[in-house]
Amino acid sequence: MTTLDQKPANSEGRKDPWSQMLQKVGKNQDREAYHALFEHFGPQIKYYAMANGLASHAEELVQEVFVSIWRRSCLYDWRKAAASTWIFTIARNQRIDMLRKMQRTSAEMPVETEDLWQIPGENENEPVTSLHRLMSERRIRESLSHLPEEQITVIAKVYMENKSHQMVADELDIPLGTVKSRVRLALNKLKVILQDQNV
Amino acid sequence: MTRHHPDSLSLMEYSAGNLSEPHALCIKLHLDKCSHCRSRVDTLDSLGAVMMEQQPKVTVSESMFDSILSRIDSEPSGEPATPAIPRVSALQKLLGEDLNSLPWKRQLGDVSVLDITDRFPGQKEQVVLQKLAAGGKAPAHTHRGEETTIVLQGAFADQKGVFNQWDFVVLTDEDEHKPVAVGCEDCITLSVLSAPVKLTGTFTRMLNPFIR
Repeated sequence: MTTLDQKPANSEGRKDPWSQMLQKVGKNQDREAYHALFEHFGPQIKYYAMANGLASHAEELVQEVFVSIWRRSCLYDWRKAAASTWIFTIARNQRIDMLRKMQRTSAEMPVETEDLWQIPGENENEPVTSLHRLMSERRIRESLSHLPEEQITVIAKVYMENKSHQMVADELDIPLGTVKSRVRLALNKLKVILQDQNV
Repeated sequence: MTRHHPDSLSLMEYSAGNLSEPHALCIKLHLDKCSHCRSRVDTLDSLGAVMMEQQPKVTVSESMFDSILSRIDSEPSGEPATPAIPRVSALQKLLGEDLNSLPWKRQLGDVSVLDITDRFPGQKEQVVLQKLAAGGKAPAHTHRGEETTIVLQGAFADQKGVFNQWDFVVLTDEDEHKPVAVGCEDCITLSVLSAPVKLTGTFTRMLNPFIR
């Protein structure tokens, strides 16, 4: 559709070893690559579960996430998302799913977690890969190292402890407006807000 | 006020997985049709991945990997299953194919409503569909609390602009507006009201972006 995806200008995606391994799992059911992914991402997902209050279910969550990675790996496309981004969204969805199942004994869930929270790159209407998408993880990593601690703390609480902006404000005993402005400042530097201006 | 697209803070709460189901639904319906916002969420998802990678290291046991392998080996086929890409949208699952044939309750003049809160068991918010008949007008009103709305069909206009299908809008008590359905279709919206509302009489039952 555009010239962007004709040339592998996005060679960064190819260089990312985790994306390559995930691709191997999807294409060849490569168990060695799957094991390497487990060694790298398993501890991260376990910590994620512990941080957001699922400590007693941390290993269960890791298992669910990895079973899900195996099942969906054939849908993974390195041009559309870095492996770590894709795996983060699977971990997020499995956490939400686990909580939904715990909170509901037998009541049916008319809408599934996946209907509400999408895994990047699995939207069939998304034919084009953006260079921006592949650049973003590296750029975020670099930008994060320049952010003041107070902004990183707020973002970590939102992403890792799954606290709403209001809950973060209550916990840090600062006004909600301060939390929001810290997030905005951070997102601005991460270039998420910049894109708002083109809306 | 957020108009047409969700703001970055809401998208961040979505990406982190911290929104309630009805709020997530509003965002998801918008994302399905807005590649611009989808790209913003992709960046935020990458932020989540980077945050996850920068946390303290914990250990996982090798035996856990063995249990995972035995789980995947017990799958019906030895190969990864291909999950069917959902062709039925969340909206269709919730409301069926035809929004116009839902059991609408005529409320006042051109406005009809349908409370679908019970489709979201265990959620605190009230979720309401509303329909403004083509060319119809709703009386001027303000909003109490915060109301997140997405246009599912048709379009409406108020003093500040036109809202088309899949546009996203958050209104608060500071926003007074007087919406009109524009175009030749009835305008149908889905609204999530963050504050629980007491249903005490006909007057307070008119909770929607059109009348409140």
